[in-house]
Amino acid sequence: MSNKFLFLSLSFFLCVFAPLLRAEPLSPADLKSLLSRIREKRAAAPQVQADFQEDKNVKMLNKPIATSGKIWFQSPNKFRREAKGTLPSITVSDGQQLWIYYPKFHSAEHYSLGKRSPLDAGISAITASLNLENVEATYHISATKEADGYQLQLLPRNPSMKRFLQTFAIKMNGDLQVIRTEMVQPNGDRIVTTYSNESRVPIPASTFEFTPPAGTDVTTPLGK
Amino acid sequence: MALHSTIAQLVTRRRGLVWSTVAVICAAAIGVLIARMKLDTEVLNLLPGGFESVEGLKVYNRDFVQVRDLTFALVCQPNDVDKLEEFAPEFAQRLREQPWCRRVLAGVPIETPDGVRDLQSIALPLFLNLEPAAFDQTLALLQPAKIQERLHRLHEEIEAGSPRPQIELGLDPLGVIGPALKPFASNASIEEDQPLTSPDRTMRVFLTVTNQPGIGAFDCQKLMKDVQAFQKKAHEGWEGGPLEILVTGRSAYVAEISLSMRHDIVITLLGSILLVSGVFYAGFRRWLPLLGMGISLLLCCLVALAAGLLIFHELNMVTVGFCAILIGLGVDFAVLVFGRYQQARDDGADHPAAVGEAVKSLGRAIFFGALTTAVGFLALMLAGSRGFTQLGVLIALGIAFAGIFMLTVFFLFLPRKSPAPGHDWMFTLVKNYVRWAVLHPARMLWISTPLLLLLTAVAFSPRPPILFDVSTHSMEPKRSDAGYALKTIMEKMPTRWEPVIGMVKAENAQQLHDYWQKVEPRWTELQAAGKIKGFSTPAALALSPQRLAGNRQKLQGVDLTAARAALEAALAEEGFSRETFESGFKLLDELKAAADPATRLPDWRETLPQSSGWWFLIDRYFAHDPLLTTGFVTTNEPVATQEQKEMLHRDLPVAGVPMILSGWSFTLTDLVPWSHRQLILISGLMALFDATLLALLYRDWRLWLIQVATLAMAVCAMIASMKLLQIPLNLLNVLAFRLVLAIGVDYGIYVLLVWQKARQLDHDVAGVVKPVILAGLTAICGFGSLGAANNPTLAGLGYACALGLFWSLAATIFFTLPAAAAAEPKSWREESLQPRVKEPENV
Repeated sequence: MSNKFLFLSLSFFLCVFAPLLRAEPLSPADLKSLLSRIREKRAAAPQVQADFQEDKNVKMLNKPIATSGKIWFQSPNKFRREAKGTLPSITVSDGQQLWIYYPKFHSAEHYSLGKRSPLDAGISAITASLNLENVEATYHISATKEADGYQLQLLPRNPSMKRFLQTFAIKMNGDLQVIRTEMVQPNGDRIVTTYSNESRVPIPASTFEFTPPAGTDVTTPLGK
Repeated sequence: MALHSTIAQLVTRRRGLVWSTVAVICAAAIGVLIARMKLDTEVLNLLPGGFESVEGLKVYNRDFVQVRDLTFALVCQPNDVDKLEEFAPEFAQRLREQPWCRRVLAGVPIETPDGVRDLQSIALPLFLNLEPAAFDQTLALLQPAKIQERLHRLHEEIEAGSPRPQIELGLDPLGVIGPALKPFASNASIEEDQPLTSPDRTMRVFLTVTNQPGIGAFDCQKLMKDVQAFQKKAHEGWEGGPLEILVTGRSAYVAEISLSMRHDIVITLLGSILLVSGVFYAGFRRWLPLLGMGISLLLCCLVALAAGLLIFHELNMVTVGFCAILIGLGVDFAVLVFGRYQQARDDGADHPAAVGEAVKSLGRAIFFGALTTAVGFLALMLAGSRGFTQLGVLIALGIAFAGIFMLTVFFLFLPRKSPAPGHDWMFTLVKNYVRWAVLHPARMLWISTPLLLLLTAVAFSPRPPILFDVSTHSMEPKRSDAGYALKTIMEKMPTRWEPVIGMVKAENAQQLHDYWQKVEPRWTELQAAGKIKGFSTPAALALSPQRLAGNRQKLQGVDLTAARAALEAALAEEGFSRETFESGFKLLDELKAAADPATRLPDWRETLPQSSGWWFLIDRYFAHDPLLTTGFVTTNEPVATQEQKEMLHRDLPVAGVPMILSGWSFTLTDLVPWSHRQLILISGLMALFDATLLALLYRDWRLWLIQVATLAMAVCAMIASMKLLQIPLNLLNVLAFRLVLAIGVDYGIYVLLVWQKARQLDHDVAGVVKPVILAGLTAICGFGSLGAANNPTLAGLGYACALGLFWSLAATIFFTLPAAAAAEPKSWREESLQPRVKEPENV
């Protein structure tokens, strides 16, 4: 009896409130307005830091890779990402250079950005979720309004970006904070990242600087 | 019977016979032209032979596949760069679909899955070609423990977030392809050597290889017709602002140059005929002699062309300028002969007598005039250029025929009954001038000498400098789409300039390998020392049969079954998907097969797909004959100076390796000393010839001195004018100096020979000065009309010669004549001006 009551109550609840929960696509004007609001918010506080949890499904591996850590971002393109756990890494970019340091291996990779390498597209995708500055130029954007925020669907416009990224979804809460991103790459790799504890307090400039510790084996996988 | 009487007899009494002879000669010449006409469109044949760099360039042009390359460039507005990026793959696909297109490179091969797969397909022979130490080190990676250790490490790095292991495993699952490709990859960076996108992203470059059957002018024209049709519709789908679709390459240049020949022939010939006819008519007011002169000159052109074809079997494109030059020169004889003939008729002689008189009094002058001009043009043979040798011989022949025809055939067109002479204002003007100059030579000399000396000073002064253009641009057609495309590409990619080519040919594969193994360390040293910016060689692809055999033997000692099992186990343990490692298993199978000495090792040329983008890189190094190869050296600056060239000549070659250094910029720089030698030595020889001839001709040291001074000052004035008008000298128009010496001397010869034998100075000298002026003007017009040619070598030659002849003519009239008068006593001059017979005021 009690189960039957529960089922009926649930059915009633769903019938009455389902329309309210359904995601609604935003009109172009609303999308423009939303992007404008996001820009204003980012302009007021061009820096952000947050905790992240990343689940990466790599085609090459049978099991997903889970990573957690913290990320710092300073508009327009500086960021730092520290992954914790048994295989930690520190990724730092000042917009021109990108360092990935692996404390466990005492090694670091150094990449130069702005040379139209596939890496640039990857960095652009990462910073797009944190910045959302001028994303219309790089992506075709559609958005839906959800009960607790917005879902943005980004499709890359140019071929260099398409080579790296197939689709890119960003979920934002009502305060326009990014809470989840999902990136699908053409080779089938899928990366889901969730963000929490967002803060927009000022970040020291030194956060985006990196000098490899003495004894670090530095490589430049894409050349100088 | 004297020769002049025989000629007069023939052209006045046996006209039918002469006409028949002319018809037979004409028919024979036309027959030869129809049956044998073959044009050589190779621009390199304009460069002198005997230079290694020139020969190297010819070999590179002939034997390497790049001769069939076409480079396309899309150029958009700055705000359309994203649209261009989006449009580029569409454009590349359309290019691939064209029936004339064999292969397209639209992006860096390593960035595409196909490019990676293609690299894997050639890994085995490159792996087996590794030097012993590197091979042993790489072979060790196939030990089971090493395989497991490597995959574990890479797995950890992936988990740590590195993008590198995924890239590495995608290309090289076993870790042996990387070391195998290292020698190849170290100089295989297409993007660095030849960027395909401009830094501002407004230009995208597409390299294509076409399938044109031959490399001759007509095949190039046919190909470019198809390419132009493609260019017209290739904008479809483009949604941005203005988009330029440019194309360049050898075929584009050859098609343009060969088509512009027709333009050059028509324009220069018509221009020359019109200008020359205008001058002739202005001087004599006669139509029939003008027609006779035209037909006689046409006959000269026909016969000389036919003779040239019989001698050389084909004629270079530069000889298209021949007709215009010949008309400009040959008309001199017609003007002089008709001037003297008319003077004799006006003095009361009948037609045969006037013909005899003209031949008698001018035969010697025309003979020497033709001789100096022919020698001047034959001296082009000393340039060593096939094209210019042909031009020189053709004009020398043409001048000889012009001398003969103007003293024979031309008279067929002169009316036996001469119309009544009218007032000849030009003759009166010239006569008055001659009279004044003879009576008061100092006045004229006070004007002309300082001016000529001033120009001489300008010629010798270091400022303004004479421009000497040895850039590749100086050889390009003036209005060229292919040239514009190349210029745009070079401007948009400023770091890109033409490398120096080091060409090496070997007897066999082992020798080729050994040669490049010697060259590589040498060039590496030069790069480390900062003497060169970079280099790339085919060393990695020049396989050593000895090394392959040795390494295959070593491979037999490796347990590849255990390696396979270790790979399987490591994949399972680390959680890698097996599918990603298929190419690793395949490579293990190939290695197993290669370990068996009975198995034939696959040839990388056969395993690499024909559509692969890597061929663009490989084809740069290997000719159709795989034992003929090139290495490329990028210099710190574009090659332009002798110091750079000397350094490259000294440092790039390696003892024991036969190497030819070449490349366009290198070759043109290499030719600068040759060009200077042409300018100084050969022009000096020509001047010496002139001086000797004049000494023999005049047997009067004063006249000899006057004319030598005239020639020297005329050449200096020509140099000064080129400096002041900023007309550059290039590798080919330096030849103009000897031509000016050869032709310019004739004006003085005509005037001074008459001066020596004049009965009444003003009448007789004016009788030759007027035709000399007309002849000079026609020659200037003939050469000047070459300036309209699209071919810059012809145009440059035309401008330089026209300037030189202008000053030769001016110096003859305003310096030689008064100087010759000044050399005589005043009483002699006054006496010589007294009339002995009553002469009419016309010629």
